[in-house]
Amino acid sequence: MLTGLKNPGARFLTRRDLLTGLAASALAGAYPRVLRASSTSEFPFEQIPASASGISWMHVNGKSAEKYLPETTGAGCAFLDYDNDGWMDIYLVNSGRCDFYVPDPPLRNALYRNNRDGTFTDVTQKAGVAAGGFGQGVAVGDYDRDGFPDLYVTQYGRSILFHNNGDGTFSDVTEKAGVAAPGWASSAVWFDYDNDGLLDLFVARFVDFSKEKNKPCGVHDDGKRHYCIPQIYQPMPSWLFHNNGDGTFTDVSKTAGIASHLGKAWGVVASDINNDGWMDLFVANDTVANFLFVNSGRGTFAEIGTEAGVAFSASGRPRSGMGVDAADFNQDGWQDLFVANIDRENFAIYQNNHDNTFDDLAIPTGIARSTKFMSGWGLKFFDYDNDGDLDLFLANGNPDDLIGSLHSEVTYEEPLLLFHKNGKLFEDVSAKSGPVFSMPMSSRGLALGDFNNDGAVDVLISVNNGAPLLLRNNLGRQNHWLGVQLIGKKSNPDAIGAAVTYQAGNLIRRRVKVGGGSYLSSHDPRIVLGLGKRETIDWLEVKWPLPGGGTQHFRDLPIDRYITIVEGEEKWK
Amino acid sequence: MQGKWDEAQREYEEMIEKEPHAPSVHYLLGRLLLSRPEPDASSARRAKEEFQKEIQIDPRNAGAEYILGEMARQESQWEEAISRFSRAAKLDPAFGDAFMGWGFCLVNRKRYEEAIAPLQSAVRLQQGNPSAHYNLAVALSRSGKKEEAEKEFAIHRRLTQKSAPTEEKAQ
Repeated sequence: MLTGLKNPGARFLTRRDLLTGLAASALAGAYPRVLRASSTSEFPFEQIPASASGISWMHVNGKSAEKYLPETTGAGCAFLDYDNDGWMDIYLVNSGRCDFYVPDPPLRNALYRNNRDGTFTDVTQKAGVAAGGFGQGVAVGDYDRDGFPDLYVTQYGRSILFHNNGDGTFSDVTEKAGVAAPGWASSAVWFDYDNDGLLDLFVARFVDFSKEKNKPCGVHDDGKRHYCIPQIYQPMPSWLFHNNGDGTFTDVSKTAGIASHLGKAWGVVASDINNDGWMDLFVANDTVANFLFVNSGRGTFAEIGTEAGVAFSASGRPRSGMGVDAADFNQDGWQDLFVANIDRENFAIYQNNHDNTFDDLAIPTGIARSTKFMSGWGLKFFDYDNDGDLDLFLANGNPDDLIGSLHSEVTYEEPLLLFHKNGKLFEDVSAKSGPVFSMPMSSRGLALGDFNNDGAVDVLISVNNGAPLLLRNNLGRQNHWLGVQLIGKKSNPDAIGAAVTYQAGNLIRRRVKVGGGSYLSSHDPRIVLGLGKRETIDWLEVKWPLPGGGTQHFRDLPIDRYITIVEGEEKWK
Repeated sequence: MQGKWDEAQREYEEMIEKEPHAPSVHYLLGRLLLSRPEPDASSARRAKEEFQKEIQIDPRNAGAEYILGEMARQESQWEEAISRFSRAAKLDPAFGDAFMGWGFCLVNRKRYEEAIAPLQSAVRLQQGNPSAHYNLAVALSRSGKKEEAEKEFAIHRRLTQKSAPTEEKAQ
């Protein structure tokens, strides 16, 4: 049972201790460096205010009387280590200039460099990643294998590929790369669909929308104009771009069988759902059937969502799918799925039946009870207390800012939800996890990342028309852990699709590195393996994705720190 | 009497007091308790008792069996729901919702082969019900009857597209 910190009276490092320790670590060339920021919170998650983090940027939604739909859907956020210093930096997406909105002064996205002391510095201008269009999401991946993470920013209008130059700056290479994806792009994911060792790009597309196509649909019984339910907009095909390995991409959406399925796509996660070594895609669609694109291994995908049982509710109705994730929550060796929906639809947690079908366990796991009146966007499975089991964090908020005048049980701003895996149940532990879980807000994106390198995975929430929320995890470091950064050599450099299995005493767990997941957001690429109170790891095995495909075994591993494992190298770093 | 919940409830209760074994009155009282705006847990409990009394008086009341089945389904009491729905369907072979509930619960319990017959009855009785076609498709598909399943999925797709609201409806 998790009731907060187990040792709240423990002495925390002073700022002087911290700086001394950092200096010593730097001199010793040690990796990783761990920051134990001072905390007096007795709760698992604690909000780091802007005054402490230095993150003063805010999202502006450009809300108008015309109720243009993109106003209420953004935006995303990311943890990434853009300068490869071993500390997670932060990227935040904003609205901006488009056919229905001309902000004055102009708006911009933000890149914050991690100062390694709990604070961040805005380096957007120097890095050249301000963007400026009507931003939606962000996907991070090293598409050119140069060791530096690149940024793909999805926008309503035209998306942007920022190549990381490796010197703290980025270049807009969208035109050369051929990945502008005109229209309304939502979430994107980097993954290697053809197992050639290069990261390809899937870009989810929402409806056919423009200023001219904005529907006057929102006057409800209360006499007020609401945001439209997307049922009335036409669905559109998503994009799949094949990485040619020379800085350019080829649009293979049609030949791969993606474009023949029209959707209203929000979240996407790439994961191998049938263990055949080829990455599949689960796409959440709003008011139409979700897609499960199964990779044939021959450059094409078959859409099997309906037959698989993940397209509709149990009664056969399409729901308003938004955020998604994939993880093996029951540790049976098969990736399960999650999709968040809108209020009164229940969210879905799909258990993999090992035969390309899934069962929705929302009711028996307890998920349905807590999510009945919620609208979910960003979400992610992760082991926040490092006990070895995958828990679940959800960011919520109704897209209709006037929903409260229509339904008494539903509110526009909603609290976050935290579920702790407890046997077969996901126990809703939100109420006892900190005051932040009782704060109503218009959450959208959710990114995971350990910004202070203490092994307790932190959470970044982007808020529509508000300041982002940086949540420090105070609980994970109460247990032991090992953080692993995987670097593919033959396989894709981000090791998307790799599986890490480890044993610590009676604990055997397997974690799979998925591409994307959540909503409009991107995550710390490192995997944190929870050990509970166990003080040693007996062994660890990495199964690399194809084309590498090898399996490497490691013993004599440290704990409570991060290590790097490079494909093909016998010793971890 | 429309909207006058307390008055109606009192009338039913007086009728029951006078004639406790009169058929249909417990059923009507149960319906009333459930149809009250924002019924609380005690209303649901009381309603359930009234339906059970009704069945003791009139074991052929398919409506009472059906509602008890639906209440059991909502509480994830799957075996009771299956039993109630199946009794309702057998009592009234034209009761499409009862066949639908019966098949739906069997699909939920992964008893796919068993679910096919009630769901076939449901789609026969409710040809425009996308949910019935969807659940029949799932039951057929997971019983290995892929071709028949595809036909039902196709009907479901057609009905779902047809039922998507148009711009006018959404206004």
